[in-house]
Amino acid sequence: EKILHSLASGQDPHGWRTPVDCVRANELCAAESSCSSRYRTLRQCLAGRDRNTMLANKECQAALEVLQESPLYDCRCKRGMKKELQCLQIYWSIHLGLTEGEEFYEASPYEPVTSRLSDIFRLASIFSGMDPATNSKSNHCLDAAKACNLNDNCKRLRSVYISTCSKEISATEHCNRRKCHKALRQFFDRVPSEYTYRLLFCSCKDQACAERRRQTIVPSCSYEDKEKPNCLDLRNMCRTDHLCRSRLADFHTNCQVSFQSLTSCPGDNYQACLGSYAGIIGFDMTPNYIDSSIASITVSPWCSCRGSGNMEEECEKFLRDFTENPCLRNAIQAFGNGTDVNLSP
Amino acid sequence: EASFGLYFPRKDYSETVYIDQPAGTPLLHIRALRDSHGEVAHFQLCQHLFIYRVGAYENHWFQIKEKTGLLYLNKSLDRGDFDILFGKNWMSLPKVTFHVYLSPQPFQGKECETPTSALVHLSIINATVPACNALMSRELCFSEMDLSFHIKENKPPGTFHQLQLPPIHYLCQNVSISYKLLAVEGLPFRYNENTTGVSVVQRLDREERERYELIAKCTVREGSKEMQVEVPFLVNVLDEDDSAPFLPNGTSTTDAVVEFNRKEGTVLATLTVCDADTTPIFPIESSRKKYTGTISTTDPWISETFRVDHIFHEIYFSPNGSQVRGTLHEYRLMLNKNISVTENRSFQLDVLVNDTEFHGPERSVMLHFNVSILPVSIQFPNMTYQFTVNRNAERFAQIGKICIENCMKFCGVNITYRLLSPNASCYAVGILQGREDKYGSLYVNDSSVLLRPECKEIQYTVVASDKQSKKHAKTQLTITLEGTIIKKEEDCPESCAINKHRAECEECGGIGVLTGKCQWRQGSGKGITTNYSTCTPSIRTCPDGICDIIESKDPAVCPQDCTNGNIIGGHERGAHGIKSGHGVCYCFPRQNCYCEKDDIKEPLCDDVCKTVI
Repeated sequence: EKILHSLASGQDPHGWRTPVDCVRANELCAAESSCSSRYRTLRQCLAGRDRNTMLANKECQAALEVLQESPLYDCRCKRGMKKELQCLQIYWSIHLGLTEGEEFYEASPYEPVTSRLSDIFRLASIFSGMDPATNSKSNHCLDAAKACNLNDNCKRLRSVYISTCSKEISATEHCNRRKCHKALRQFFDRVPSEYTYRLLFCSCKDQACAERRRQTIVPSCSYEDKEKPNCLDLRNMCRTDHLCRSRLADFHTNCQVSFQSLTSCPGDNYQACLGSYAGIIGFDMTPNYIDSSIASITVSPWCSCRGSGNMEEECEKFLRDFTENPCLRNAIQAFGNGTDVNLSP
Repeated sequence: EASFGLYFPRKDYSETVYIDQPAGTPLLHIRALRDSHGEVAHFQLCQHLFIYRVGAYENHWFQIKEKTGLLYLNKSLDRGDFDILFGKNWMSLPKVTFHVYLSPQPFQGKECETPTSALVHLSIINATVPACNALMSRELCFSEMDLSFHIKENKPPGTFHQLQLPPIHYLCQNVSISYKLLAVEGLPFRYNENTTGVSVVQRLDREERERYELIAKCTVREGSKEMQVEVPFLVNVLDEDDSAPFLPNGTSTTDAVVEFNRKEGTVLATLTVCDADTTPIFPIESSRKKYTGTISTTDPWISETFRVDHIFHEIYFSPNGSQVRGTLHEYRLMLNKNISVTENRSFQLDVLVNDTEFHGPERSVMLHFNVSILPVSIQFPNMTYQFTVNRNAERFAQIGKICIENCMKFCGVNITYRLLSPNASCYAVGILQGREDKYGSLYVNDSSVLLRPECKEIQYTVVASDKQSKKHAKTQLTITLEGTIIKKEEDCPESCAINKHRAECEECGGIGVLTGKCQWRQGSGKGITTNYSTCTPSIRTCPDGICDIIESKDPAVCPQDCTNGNIIGGHERGAHGIKSGHGVCYCFPRQNCYCEKDDIKEPLCDDVCKTVI
């Protein structure tokens, strides 16, 4: 009964007020003199270190109370929207101070994903035309590449990132990682997920297929590095960048293991988890399959817990959200099998 | 850090709260551990609750007992409260978060000022408490919080967790729930059945064991039914700096010789220091500051010329079967600037390594580097250079290399090669040197001179000089011209690389050729390979994957190595030029290159021919 309850409340956000995006909310606030002055005050309050002292301050508290009624307070951003970075900057200017800055999991600044995997399957079946008889022999990852090549947009952005990521700069510099990451972000932001997910999460029965899956993001440039940094160090680095921080928070929000659902995913929403996984590709925290084995699917960012000192427990907890995450694993497998959670009783 | 050492055995606590649970319901029992005997823990909440992604609200509902650390409901949280708190939040899992603070003194009204705090996360369920018989035994026994704790080493024993769940104990008094700690034999932990408290009974030593894996077992009895649940119970031991640095194998001395490699940044020698304590690799600068390595010298020349680089890695050792982490520090003696070739001295350089956070007497170790700086001489091998050049050679033909003794071993020494003007007017060759090249390359710079009959043998003086020390060396170079002049084929392209077929390649000359004719390289013909077929001025230098200084002078010499233009056909591009190609690769200088399989074979006898025969 508890599970059904969470299913019902989790996946249906329509009961709540729909949030405005932060760029728009900022415009609305700027047009109103009391809101804009309070917003400035609050930003100054939050720039200080200690949140509790800040909240004890009368002026700050008044500013917060006024802003709680303004659209700025619960504004959100959309993945791949125009001015996404500006939107996230506005979001974090308020929330970095209000949510726990040192928190292990941060809340996502993005709007919740309401579409389901089944929507993708419906679209995918239109162009796949796969013969179920040859299904057992076929290489799904190869089929995904073919499907992408048949779509102009997918083909163009895929060749852009592949050529950028494979371009040798000099004898010592294997490739331009920054440009490669940018091209990958454009691919995953601008190409519809029915194409990108098929490439990224195709199911495999042999090693050649799994190797192709592993190679999807050109890991020699976008993923691997000379040394493996410590995962917490990598997280700190990611958190200094608004975009990376937001995508990681989104991943933590949508793929965090939940005990209150059948699938281990929050709200049993596979689509949201896969989307936020794809959303961190092209940042410092870029995850990938660690090998081309077909028996076990393990993904991880390029980092380890060596050298964690007294933070080893925390480091391993962070890394396990990638390597041993039943929600993420179930979501990848469900996509590969073409199954989604059936929500109608 | 702080002047007192009370601490929480975990960073986060979590529990579930239901709507309309009565005031007075106990929620969570928080325990603290001590740093020294006699400390008394005081717990306190701040007046603000934080709601996952929404913000701060004043706390009316939760309270903690200052002396015992029992968190309880002060006021029932009703549906109206729920709507106020979460009405704006469309997250699927409503949750409130707040800090619990810890202090050795009573708080007396001051609030939230101590540096020690833990976070409490309460999941608020929008439903009333389920009946005891509707709960699974897992829910009766343990909350969703994993049982994972950390205990600092070298601290007094104490109770750090309560297995019993306060709300369940309060609500379901007619259900019998008992606990046990398994796999505890021989370990420094005890379970007290009366209080359900788990304590550590002696000081722990991380360098002996840093992780304890126990099992918490719970038995639920309801009438005649009995159910058991087991969950892992983990204890990590936190490290403090309580071990002195030591030398692996007792080695504290090593030799460092400076000879041909005199470049700034060269690692001359490495010595290692071990420490049983862990060192976090982030933030790296603060860890470096805690473990310093400084050159102890009063000689300003030494402190300017050398520096010590510190890197460290985690290592494992096994004191008694279990694996424990430690640190291996590497101190690398490096050159801080280029050293002149004339410098000649030997001395012992001492490096003092200091474990600044260790409070024992042996906190430092001295490392010794026996440094010898040997002078190197700039001289040519005893012979003079002799090269022959074919009279049909073209401009940019590569004749040979000029190199002082050990020139390829030099690093950080800037040798330049020059030719002094020759006798008469037969000035046919030049010398060029790439930026990082350690040798000079001789090439034809005026091919018309080669055709003049009066030029037979040309004498040059070659000078190699080092800018920094002003040292130089000279030798004689003799160029002998040989061969008879052959007439140039007409209709041949300027560059060998344009020729697509073997026959036309070997008939033609082109810029950079040595003997008047281009050379054909026959590739393996297997797929896209570095060994593709192509026409080149000299197989020895082109294509070899390197766009050398002479080839880069003119794009017609070796576009295969140097092109930045398009490559059409099956190929792999290098940083410059074609790394590998399919079939034959040919290039139009300053334009495109093409790689293609040349398999259009003309039929020996077509149908018309057959009928004629």
